[in-house]
Amino acid sequence: MRNVAILGVGQTNHARRRTDVSTIGLSREAVLRALEDADLTMDDIDSVVVCSGPVLFAAVNQPEKWLADAIGARNKPVVRVTSGGGTGLAGALAAVNQVRAGHANRVLVIAYDKLSEGALQYSISTLYDPFWGREFAVGIMGFSAAYWKSRMDLLGHSEEAAAMVSVKNHKNALLNPYAHVKKEITVEDVLNSKPLCWPIKLLDVPPISDGACAVILGSEDAAKKSENPAWIRGMAYYCEAENAAYRSMIQSEPLTIAAAKVYRQAGITNPRRQVDVVEVQEPYTCFELSYYEGLGLCPSGGAAELMASGATQIDGDIPVNPSGGCMGANPIGATALIRLAEVAQQVRGKAGAYQIEGAKVGLAQAGGGWANLRGVAVVSSEKG
Amino acid sequence: MMNDDLERVAIVASAQTQLRSAWGSMQHVDLIGATVNDLLNGSGFRIQDIDVIIDCGSDVLDGRSISNCGFLGAMGAHHKEESRVEEDGIFGAIYGANKVSGGSADVALVIAYSKPSESSVAGYYSTLSEPFYQRPLGLDHISAAGLLANQYLTYSGASEEDLITIAFESWRKASHNKDVEMLGAPSRDDIARAVRIADPLTAPQISRNVDGAVAILIAKESVARKLSDKPVWITGIGSAIDSHYLTERVPGKMKAAETATKFALKSAGISDIKQFKLAEVSATSSANEAMVVEAMGFADFGKAINCYSENSAVSINPSGGAIPADPIMATGLVRLHEAYKQLSGGYGEVKFDKAIAHGAGGLGMQNHCVITLEA
Repeated sequence: MRNVAILGVGQTNHARRRTDVSTIGLSREAVLRALEDADLTMDDIDSVVVCSGPVLFAAVNQPEKWLADAIGARNKPVVRVTSGGGTGLAGALAAVNQVRAGHANRVLVIAYDKLSEGALQYSISTLYDPFWGREFAVGIMGFSAAYWKSRMDLLGHSEEAAAMVSVKNHKNALLNPYAHVKKEITVEDVLNSKPLCWPIKLLDVPPISDGACAVILGSEDAAKKSENPAWIRGMAYYCEAENAAYRSMIQSEPLTIAAAKVYRQAGITNPRRQVDVVEVQEPYTCFELSYYEGLGLCPSGGAAELMASGATQIDGDIPVNPSGGCMGANPIGATALIRLAEVAQQVRGKAGAYQIEGAKVGLAQAGGGWANLRGVAVVSSEKG
Repeated sequence: MMNDDLERVAIVASAQTQLRSAWGSMQHVDLIGATVNDLLNGSGFRIQDIDVIIDCGSDVLDGRSISNCGFLGAMGAHHKEESRVEEDGIFGAIYGANKVSGGSADVALVIAYSKPSESSVAGYYSTLSEPFYQRPLGLDHISAAGLLANQYLTYSGASEEDLITIAFESWRKASHNKDVEMLGAPSRDDIARAVRIADPLTAPQISRNVDGAVAILIAKESVARKLSDKPVWITGIGSAIDSHYLTERVPGKMKAAETATKFALKSAGISDIKQFKLAEVSATSSANEAMVVEAMGFADFGKAINCYSENSAVSINPSGGAIPADPIMATGLVRLHEAYKQLSGGYGEVKFDKAIAHGAGGLGMQNHCVITLEA
């Protein structure tokens, strides 16, 4: 298979509400930053992949059609890939395949959401089956809380452990110039915060944000002109049918399938030792704990202990979300691509104030749907 | 796709439901499940042979966010790689072909579906328009088709009579297609005298929205040769988007269809479109179909009508095309399925060695995709 590299990335300054730009202005901001980072112009881009959350979030159907003019993509291939909250990574995977197939030499992936434009939990409630689910649908929180409670009982994912995730990610976000939630908090603050759907409490929940991220991927040939590309060593995006009777949510099956495939591609046999930095997409704190196990950073039931050990802190041996993760900013459709961009910057040595020294191998995780869509990627400073 | 390290890619099976004005008794999952079962039956492939599933549907038409999530079981996607391309299914076929030719998968299933009978089609198209300049005008697919048709007649010199002929031929051919529900084809007079819903277009010249699902199976060469009697090779792919704003497009022309065709021919290593004697193209109106046929290079500007005469070198839409049956997200993939069927012997005697299929998406056909096939 042909090698594929990340040549440049860009992010917007995320905010609860960006009143200064429309959806397309927001996306353009990220695109211009990615082009600048890669030292390219739109003339160098052969193809564009657009990703966003469900269109009900911002009430423009097929928004890539509108975006095309604003980013100078007219007369180029433009397609939108949607896969729930993890759509940014699903879009990056589409771009990787365009490059591998020789269909494009350089592909721009742009992921965004402008969540201030719509009613988020209402939109999410329309995920549910119109015949047997929607009448009791209340967004995604009740569903997530129920599974956390099961994991709490079976795997020991305690409220304290989840609170430590929140404290860690909030603290890391203080270092991130693009984050908009900048608040130092304590475990007690999280435990005492208002229950929204127990055990999920206010400070277990990331913000709702406007934001965009752009990543430029290219072939080995295109990467020759790049100073410090980040090589894609593995990437996959798996699903499970929500109505599969034997679906187990205690461990995310699509996550373990995706991780196994990506580790095989990347030659990783012990992620805890071989990976230098991790970015996960945590819609609630409890999910980060679950991902530790799904990604094999610790054994099943070991997440709370791993968290308490300090290993996933920015100065630990397996730092998770040094950027602050979703706690610093959460423009849903963009967050998965942000995770990929963050690990790319880490292995390129361009992560600024939260750079993990000497990071060579980065692991990114993404997810969406009813927790039934899961993506994993490994990037490295070395081609392999 | 000529490079040595890339896999040659073939279509090895396909299936579709009948295209009906309303599939009242079937939910999305029923249509999708029936199509996937039909595709696999007798194909030599099993669901466990499929590595990746690409699906093309619309949250807006389905009335459901991330609606593909609810259909994964029916697609057979459980524990597989799956992604949605929220565009006409033929764009999903490009993704599937890339995935296989780049070596990331051996077998890819591409599924497209729509049930516009349960949706507001005008709402689907008007929310597709950006909210500041075009949407407040009340533009939808019908008014956009009228505006584009007027420009086409003004700039190309084609006549209203030409457009009526294109629509007439489409309905006539569709009346022989058992996969399209028909209550008899309209006569020329019927078309000419029907209500003018978007000047200069009468109602039968605007595509009829129908419910339905379609699927194709793509495999790499070694697998295709082993399991399929008649693989049909994907030789070229191309796509391109035009300006979102109708006022910014070249009047009377579909520039993005032209660019997409050029990309496809280049990747197929074919310099002359005239090598293709079979074309299956999409359109949301008779005038749009004329513009697509011209943009692809089958006729000079304003002369698409020549392709509908008896002595035309190219056969356009023997299936009837999209005017009698437009399942919105599935329309272009139906074209690819029809082209595959022609080349693989699905209609008996194989009369063509090559085919070109076209699909489009967006208001006033903003986004275009072209795939070339060879038996």
